[in-house]
Amino acid sequence: MIARSARWLALAALAALAGAAPSAAARLSAASAQTWSVDRGTTAILIEDHRAPLVEIRLMFPIGRWSSWAARAGRIDEAFALSLLDPGGALRARADRAGAEVALTTDARMSVLALGCRREALDSVVALARDVLANRDIDRSEIGRRNFESDLEWSAAEKNPQSMMSTHVRRILFQPQDPRRTPHEKQEHVSGDAKRLMALRDTLVRSTGRVIGLAGDLTRAEAETMARALLPPALDALPVPATPALPTPLPADRRPKDLTVKLARLTQTYLALARDAPALTDRDYPAFLVADHVLGGHFYSRLYVALRHGQGDTYATGTIREGEPATGAYAAWTYSRSANAAATEAKLRGVLRTFRDGGITEQERADAIGYLEGRRAFNVQAPGQVLDRILWERSRGLAAGYRDALIERAAALSVAEINEFVRRFYDPSRFTMIRVETR
Amino acid sequence: MRMHIVIASLTGLLASAGGALSAPPPGLIDRVLANGLAVTIAPDTSLPIVSTRVWYHVGAANETKDTRGFAHLFEHLMFSGTPTHEKGAWEAHHHRFGGIENAHTSWDETTYESDIPPAGIHDVLAMEADRMVNLRLDEAALENEKKIVTEELRATIENDPYDRMLVAALKSLCGDHPYAVTPLGTKEDIAAATLDQARAFYARYYRPRNAHLVIVGPVDGPATLAEVERAFGAIRAAGETPPDVPSLWGWRFPERIALKEDLPPAEVAVLVYPLPPPDSEDDVALSLMEEILGSSQVDPFREDLVRKRRQALEAGIQVLSLRRGGVLCFYSAVLPYRREAGQFDVMNETMRTLERKEWLTDARLAGAKRKMLRAIELQRYRAADLADALAKERWWRGDAALAFTRADRLAAISRADVARVFDRYVTNAKPVAVYIQPEKVPVMLQLFGWLLPLVMR
Repeated sequence: MIARSARWLALAALAALAGAAPSAAARLSAASAQTWSVDRGTTAILIEDHRAPLVEIRLMFPIGRWSSWAARAGRIDEAFALSLLDPGGALRARADRAGAEVALTTDARMSVLALGCRREALDSVVALARDVLANRDIDRSEIGRRNFESDLEWSAAEKNPQSMMSTHVRRILFQPQDPRRTPHEKQEHVSGDAKRLMALRDTLVRSTGRVIGLAGDLTRAEAETMARALLPPALDALPVPATPALPTPLPADRRPKDLTVKLARLTQTYLALARDAPALTDRDYPAFLVADHVLGGHFYSRLYVALRHGQGDTYATGTIREGEPATGAYAAWTYSRSANAAATEAKLRGVLRTFRDGGITEQERADAIGYLEGRRAFNVQAPGQVLDRILWERSRGLAAGYRDALIERAAALSVAEINEFVRRFYDPSRFTMIRVETR
Repeated sequence: MRMHIVIASLTGLLASAGGALSAPPPGLIDRVLANGLAVTIAPDTSLPIVSTRVWYHVGAANETKDTRGFAHLFEHLMFSGTPTHEKGAWEAHHHRFGGIENAHTSWDETTYESDIPPAGIHDVLAMEADRMVNLRLDEAALENEKKIVTEELRATIENDPYDRMLVAALKSLCGDHPYAVTPLGTKEDIAAATLDQARAFYARYYRPRNAHLVIVGPVDGPATLAEVERAFGAIRAAGETPPDVPSLWGWRFPERIALKEDLPPAEVAVLVYPLPPPDSEDDVALSLMEEILGSSQVDPFREDLVRKRRQALEAGIQVLSLRRGGVLCFYSAVLPYRREAGQFDVMNETMRTLERKEWLTDARLAGAKRKMLRAIELQRYRAADLADALAKERWWRGDAALAFTRADRLAAISRADVARVFDRYVTNAKPVAVYIQPEKVPVMLQLFGWLLPLVMR
């Protein structure tokens, strides 16, 4: 094995040989972000990049599905998304004329209005962003239609083994109303009260801690002018605590050891060994990152070697890992033809047992760190990508670059330290076997 | 709607971005080596990743009727290693640098992809050249990959009702055309594949004359070309490109297709219009028409059926583009209470409103051009996107450099051009009518589904 420092020296020499000029990676990073305060409760972030005449806008509001306020208020994700849907389609038509991409999304911890356009259309896109967030005239018929559509999507998910595996991984871990579980269940219908929905949206838009994110071909002076006029004044305080209080996960002794789900007409059995995972902010997370990568994070991981390359039991295997700053779901999963299910299940259990008993090797540790370090270059290709990572971390109460720093912390761990975690975490008695098989 | 997602994912699998930048980068190298290997190198020092693509111009459409799935099976065998590079060395190299490697088999081509930080590019070229000529092919590898691709086939097209329906629809639509069977093929043909077949296929198609190597990223152009010459130049000039399969434009399609599947309780009606191959003179005007009709926030077909008239739960337009033609699909989904003829009547009414072309205004055309130009300019950020576009332009349209003139060609398209292609490929064409029904419908929906348009008001 080549020592890490020697390997990096070799890489640097090779890069020089390749004639590689200073790469975008050196210029584009979380550290290149310019940040300033727009008003009390609103921050602006700019990632300047003039390679292409393109601009990305992100208006981020730090309230997502995990917010306890959202849980009481109802489907804030839908309230937010409906903002674009005026009855005559005038807002959407403006987006089309500007040639802009527009999306309103809500994840666990934030809601984001994202727009992307050519620089020449920037003024009209900024005006559109303002009008979308101020729109009170939503198409009520869309509420009913989207409820129907959501029911049909759930009906389709119930027939898909991968979806059902994913749903049951959450069901064994979280209580029915836990927002870590509800996105994987049938969605409750949105209330038809448009007025109430828009009031929710207004509260969301005025939440403190919001960010105006800009990336691409514009200067600081242009960004400052733009940011000043984009949003209505913020509220005095967030309507919810910054850190959500999530329900306690179901205790390990209340989880089944085995769970079998039956679906019609399957020719394969899907298998998942599932348990709870450490939070992104847990002190064990760097060790978890490395261990999980060795177990199932690449094409020659322990799972792939045992289940695919060895005897062709499966086409795909891997792990489910969520990476949020709260206890999440974790599962090692695969599938195989129905007649081979028992043998594959035994192998899946065997991989986990061997992993726990033997831990990872020094070579595996070094390769995993090389991979994780190298991957960072993929996250800094486009300015919008850098901005999105900053917003994601900020919405979780994390410093910009937190996940990159995690890799550095992981790189500092010895194989013995990682294996101490492996022995604790990969205890087979802590895992539930979930099977999705043919009825 | 899942229908939308499934078709979108299918098209996404097959087609990469449609164009590239508005001017060629100064150091662009585009040439054919003495042994027939086409090489395109687009240096760009602002990129953090080097993307390499090797496109072999053979795919599932070139299979015979009893070898369905063979091109894809062979794609898997390309990862079997060589005497110099053991099985797994390719993946280990990428893993060490945090890189990404993958491969895809479509009907028209088989593509090998590497995205890696610059320090890793040298070995990528050496290993790609090595497996072009020294691949280790043995029974054990073949038998294991047969099992693996059969599991892939089960997972991808057997165990989800939408996937089963799409496979059946494609078969019914294309009949004897080579595009009728998905690249995953059939279990029977995969089981019957032999090592002799694999060796013959490799010798015939996986050689320089049937390949295109593309490199995009922070590399020195001349130095990289010299390295390509060293790695690939010694490979004997060999290989052949299979003859073109028939175009879908002009293919004889059935008039009507009816399918039943274990789907959620919605009936889907689809009007399918054939499209010409991408090297057609109408290509750019068609792409603008597809952008306005199928990728807009206000998709006029959906807007009329779903939003204005409330005659469908969902509706939209999807395009499947392949090298020898494509299809433009107008679909609508309703709860199962209306008769098939009624659903097509409702759709045809909307088609007649589209024929008036009120959707085709100067402002809308300008917006569509702006959006497509943005998609082209986004390729400045990602080496992979430009590499895919260069490889595709050469194989699908005959010249990699077309990737750099697409913006100008878009600018030259007028409203009259878009109106003309709409008339030619939609108004004056006869579509295939496809009707897809769920096997089971809850009684309540059968009785009261007709209330939906009222509920949606």
